[in-house]
Amino acid sequence: MEEDPPHTVTPFVFSDPAGKRWPRLRLALLIAGILVFLGTVLFVQTLFVAPQLSLPFSLRQLKGQLKSLQKANPAGQPPVNLALWEKFAAARLAAKRPPGPAPSPAAHPRKKSQSNEVRLAFYTNGDPYSFGSLEQHASQITHLCPEWMAMTNGSGDLQIDADSRLPKLTASKGIALMPLLTNLVGDTWQPEAVENLAHSPIETQDRFIQKVLTILNDAKAAGVVIDWEQVDPAYKKDITVFLDRFTDALHYDDKQLWLCVQPGQDLDYIDFEALSDNVDRFVALLFDETSDIDAPGPLGSRRWFEGWLSVLMDGAETKQWIIALGSYGYDWTGGAKKAELISFPEAMSRASYAEVAGVTVAAPDYNPYFYYEDADKDHSVWFLDVVTFLNQLRQVREAKAGGVAIYRLGTEDVSIWDALNVPHDLKMNDASRSLLEVLKGTDTIADVGEGEIVSVDESQSDGLRTLAVDKDGYLTAAYSKFPQFPTLYHQGAGDPHQVALTFDDGPDPKWTPEVLDILKAANVKAAFFLVGANAEKYPGLVRRIVAEGHEIGNHTYYHPNLALCWPEHVRLELNATQLLLETITGRSTTLFRPPYAADTSPSKISELTPLQIAQDLGYLVVLENIDPQDWAQPGADIILQRIKQQRHDGSIILLHDAGGDREQTVEALPRILDYLQTRGDSIVSLSTLVGTTRDAVMPPIQTKGRSLNHFVSGAGFTIFHAAEEFLWAFMIVATALVVLRTLTVIWLAARFRRSCSGSFAEPISVIVAAYNEGKVIAETLRAVLATDYAGEVEVIVVDDGSQDETTAEVEAVAANDPRVRLLRQENRGKARALQRGLAAIRTGIVVFLDADTHCQRDTLRRLVQPFADERVGAVSGHAKVGNLRTFIAKCQALEYTCGFNLDRRAYTRWNCMTVVPGAISAIRKSAIDDAGGLSLETLAEDTDLTLALHKRSQRIVYVPEAIAWTEAPETVRTLARQRFRWAYGTLQCLWKHRDMIFNWRYRALGWFSLPSVWFFQIILVAITPMVDLFLLASLPFGAWRAVLPFVIAFLSMDVLLATLACILERESVLRAWRILPMRLIYRPMLSYVIWKAILRAVKGAFVSWGKLERTASVPVQV
Amino acid sequence: MKFASRQSLATTVRFGSRAISLLAAAVLICEGVGCKRTSKSVPPDPNAPVEVILPERGVYTGAFMDFGDAEDEVTLEMIEEFENMVGKHQAIIASSSYWGEESFPTRNLNVIWRHGALPLVFWSPWDHPYEQNRGPDKFGLNAIIEGKWDAYIDRWGDAAREFGKPMIVAFGVEMNGDWFPWSGWFYGADELVGDTPNQWEGPEHFKKAYRYVVDRVRARGAANIKWMFHTNNYSYPLDTWNFAAAYYPGPGYVDWLGLSVYGQQFKDEPWANVPSLVDWPYEEIARLDPKTPIMIAEWATGEFPRSGNKGAWIQEGLDLFRKRYPRIKAAIYWHERWQNPDQTYSNLRVNSSVESLNAYRNGVAHPDWLGNLVLRPLAEKR
Repeated sequence: MEEDPPHTVTPFVFSDPAGKRWPRLRLALLIAGILVFLGTVLFVQTLFVAPQLSLPFSLRQLKGQLKSLQKANPAGQPPVNLALWEKFAAARLAAKRPPGPAPSPAAHPRKKSQSNEVRLAFYTNGDPYSFGSLEQHASQITHLCPEWMAMTNGSGDLQIDADSRLPKLTASKGIALMPLLTNLVGDTWQPEAVENLAHSPIETQDRFIQKVLTILNDAKAAGVVIDWEQVDPAYKKDITVFLDRFTDALHYDDKQLWLCVQPGQDLDYIDFEALSDNVDRFVALLFDETSDIDAPGPLGSRRWFEGWLSVLMDGAETKQWIIALGSYGYDWTGGAKKAELISFPEAMSRASYAEVAGVTVAAPDYNPYFYYEDADKDHSVWFLDVVTFLNQLRQVREAKAGGVAIYRLGTEDVSIWDALNVPHDLKMNDASRSLLEVLKGTDTIADVGEGEIVSVDESQSDGLRTLAVDKDGYLTAAYSKFPQFPTLYHQGAGDPHQVALTFDDGPDPKWTPEVLDILKAANVKAAFFLVGANAEKYPGLVRRIVAEGHEIGNHTYYHPNLALCWPEHVRLELNATQLLLETITGRSTTLFRPPYAADTSPSKISELTPLQIAQDLGYLVVLENIDPQDWAQPGADIILQRIKQQRHDGSIILLHDAGGDREQTVEALPRILDYLQTRGDSIVSLSTLVGTTRDAVMPPIQTKGRSLNHFVSGAGFTIFHAAEEFLWAFMIVATALVVLRTLTVIWLAARFRRSCSGSFAEPISVIVAAYNEGKVIAETLRAVLATDYAGEVEVIVVDDGSQDETTAEVEAVAANDPRVRLLRQENRGKARALQRGLAAIRTGIVVFLDADTHCQRDTLRRLVQPFADERVGAVSGHAKVGNLRTFIAKCQALEYTCGFNLDRRAYTRWNCMTVVPGAISAIRKSAIDDAGGLSLETLAEDTDLTLALHKRSQRIVYVPEAIAWTEAPETVRTLARQRFRWAYGTLQCLWKHRDMIFNWRYRALGWFSLPSVWFFQIILVAITPMVDLFLLASLPFGAWRAVLPFVIAFLSMDVLLATLACILERESVLRAWRILPMRLIYRPMLSYVIWKAILRAVKGAFVSWGKLERTASVPVQV
Repeated sequence: MKFASRQSLATTVRFGSRAISLLAAAVLICEGVGCKRTSKSVPPDPNAPVEVILPERGVYTGAFMDFGDAEDEVTLEMIEEFENMVGKHQAIIASSSYWGEESFPTRNLNVIWRHGALPLVFWSPWDHPYEQNRGPDKFGLNAIIEGKWDAYIDRWGDAAREFGKPMIVAFGVEMNGDWFPWSGWFYGADELVGDTPNQWEGPEHFKKAYRYVVDRVRARGAANIKWMFHTNNYSYPLDTWNFAAAYYPGPGYVDWLGLSVYGQQFKDEPWANVPSLVDWPYEEIARLDPKTPIMIAEWATGEFPRSGNKGAWIQEGLDLFRKRYPRIKAAIYWHERWQNPDQTYSNLRVNSSVESLNAYRNGVAHPDWLGNLVLRPLAEKR
């Protein structure tokens, strides 16, 4: 250090002698940092503090909504029913013919032995619990009867609605598949379909039978179960003949025909005497004693059940009969025309919430029921449970029926599966008894109420019923505690003629205004469930929606699938959107619809949790039940048609005004409005549907005390928005530039030509600066001296004060070869060592060679060849990585290959090379002198010199064949140090020669290669980690779709360049793929050194000049 | 669109003399230069004040579909399903307004009118449970005449005026039978009023109530209503005092004359062909007034293959209604199926068999069966 007093130091680029720049900057940064931090904290706080939503009590509360009603059982016994089975018995007795010939076994071979109890289960399509129950209890059933075919008219046309999963599932479980063939279309029985078909010509019937057979064969079914209802007995003969024919056809195909028998008037159309000879099974549906359109009553009382059972089995071949037992419930709403079919868990939920007491299964009906009140409406619930099941099962087994059927999977009291094994005398041990007595509160979601505005209660608890056997030998039960299931409480069904329109995912600058115009013209008010990110982009549209009288709801900020999100994430999504909407409109919204929930109504507990969170935050959760799936763009006609089909069963229509091309939605909307009005519907707002006001669901915010919050959140959203916009713009510009540059480089490199040929043999000097290079210097020198260069070569080694054996090694070589000269100096840095060497040379051409870089025999010859051309001032050799031992080194090899080599090939064409590498290059001495010699102002003396040569209009070329093998850093640490030196030096040079950029004098250098260095090596490298972080942060919000094209563009450019470089270098193309993992390591590392270099540059005087230089001068450790 | 295929309007629209000369001039000019006369094909806006006029040629086709126990659950779905089935738009759609509901069926009528059909309302003064053969209830004719239901009638009239579109109302249908509580049968039947000949207590009660109701509704300004006097084809009991003429309230109260024409409805009834069901009643009712148009206000038969061929019966009806009886301007099919207390079914639906549906489809496909209304704009009243 003593040799370098400050005043002798050439003014160093970025040096700040006064030392004021850094303290000032630091203070500014500190203040800015504190402000940003405080702002962020405030903003984040506003996001996490839930807005205070206050809903009308009645809309929010589930508990306390339902009230128990104590009533005596008014049902009594409808005498008509009683009379019916007795009447039927009499009629049957009278009609009794002598038994016909016994069915010949050969005529219709039975697949299953008659002696085994058949266990048939009815399956309902579209009920996830039906499927769940099937999967769970598959081992306990032998036959499955799923909904499948419906006869729509007398021409034998079929409507197929089948669950395609079943054939495979039943096959794998060894269950016989028996699809259902019914005449129920939608809600309406079509008796004419059966009557007319049975009355139609044989050909029509055969066509129909073949159609059914084909369907059964496709499903690999074992037969068919027929359930025809409301058929006119006048057609009894026709139907008997037809069924006989049908059965024959099935038997011929080794399939069975089972016929459902509805107790009651419907029996009259079945000619049992004739059909029992051929039909394989009769399935007696001994449930629905009181149907859903009757006044409330038992679903299978003891007398009714046993009456029908004995009548049907009397004198029949009992094994031919399968008795279907119900396990479900009906909920009759006072004043409604039809009861709602409910599952056993749903009956339990109702009883539990209504805090019903005293539900029993006891004489005389042995059929449980209770009453409750919901929203001032009386409800009567009758249901069937394991106790009714066991009592009935006992009768069925006593009657020696061929088996039982369960109606139906998904609504049953799960205990019935345990009950199948209860002994006939109902004597159970404690374990099996408690299995039936304890009612497990499972994950099954119970739905209570009507409408698609839902509240959630996730709580589960077990219930208890006490079983006993009464004096008549029947099982009885008393429910002492009802189990709780996760419950969805539905509201907002509204008047049947009311319907609400909802639009999701907006606002959108193109489609939302069109939707609003249509609604305005029709004077219709709708609800818009807004996505925060879109609302933030188009606040004007949000204001317009509200100003035009529509309602707005929260549809989350980024539209994630909430079932997959952490609770905190869910809250953040909701709060951010709420704050944004409050900021824009001055109103809160209590309406919320979860993204993607439209696909199905929740059937999994994970889908319930986000709803619970939203509800806890005070939201009304709005689902939908008319979903024409307009987002899939099925065409306006289909959208309208689907709404027509679903309108009957729903009151909230889901459409989309954003998220894609919504032209079809806009096209369909006026027709939808017209249809609804023609239908006689009134299109109402959601608030009307739930019976409240717009202000109640969208309360204006209280300005007091919340203004600061809103200022902060408003500013936060604005800044966030700006940052987001900037990053996107940056991504797009950067990608475009990368692609442009890559293509230019490829084009130029491909056009690279040898600069000249011929012989050049003037004397040359090789300068090697060495500092502690004892291990490698001898080898380097031997390689240089072994050159095939024709001209005179002198080698000057400048020992920069090495403390190791460098001097000795060089002296040893010099002793044997006079061409080698050793100069020594105290340690003063590489640049000064080179200066010293330059001063000592005697020739006109200087070759710079690093002490660790090995020449090939032909390197020098090829390197100086271009000097044959007088205009050439400098030549760059081709440095390659010689030590391919570590991954880091291999990566650099690739980097050298594609980065440096390719660039130089390209730059030669336009004479705009930015650096002639110090490792291997040749320069005219006169040119160096002309450029003012070797400068000490920067750490990158080679770049500095190159740019200085350009200023003197020297021609600089590249000779890729002049290969020298250099040693690359082998650890990240050393690599980082090297790259820091390069980066800092590059920054210095760019700053020092900033006048060259965008300077017409320097043409390609000023307009292409130097800006490239600025943008691609400094700015892009510095900013990419921020972009990466932003991208990572946005991944959970589904931004990857948008980002993917950019990532692919970047990476493919990398791969493309690397591949081309490898081809040019004749290296394995497979190596090019190494560029991908390299990116992951290089980018953060490069970014780190760039920032470090920038910081150093800004700090200026704070960096010790000497120390830095010393560090820099240390050659790479091997 | 729904009114697009209707008959040319130019012949039916009443123009002032000035308009006629203008039109004539326009026609001349147009024909001279070969331009199109667009004015003829522009249908009147059904939402503006219009009236339905009788077609020069052809008969309006219509139906009652099974709209539920109170015959008032009108849905667009059911209408469209029926129309798809029979392959024809309906010009008239019938439904009921039972007094026991104590309401005006505005929604139903809007559905029907917006669908492009003329609503026909059976305004029947009876109470739950709407079962026949029970005799008078609280909506008895005397109660009406005594003014007990004035408030309801006025409300009903107001709502009809509010609805404002054309509609046909039949008060007290099939009064010449003995099954509905408003039949003369229940009000003294053949007792003479005082000593006046040809005035019997039963029919006079009905007439009085009919006029009373119509007067009240008209007083509420419901000028959009056309009133229909709607009898069963044959009186039951078939006696002079019970003939249509005895019940007829007079031309000032009747815009349409309606007949119910049912073939075999129950298992034990005999089959009857269409002329035997219509010929005499048509003559009887036509005599009431020389000009008033006649409507087959209800017609159907059950499906009893052993008794007769329903398809042929329907075909015959659709044929004769438009050919044999020139004053019939509309026919309303009663599309319903029900189960009787003896477990038998009465299936009056058009699709009770493939043959009957085909017969109906083919029959109404004739261009003289008009599925679309002919409308005429009404001058605004000042």
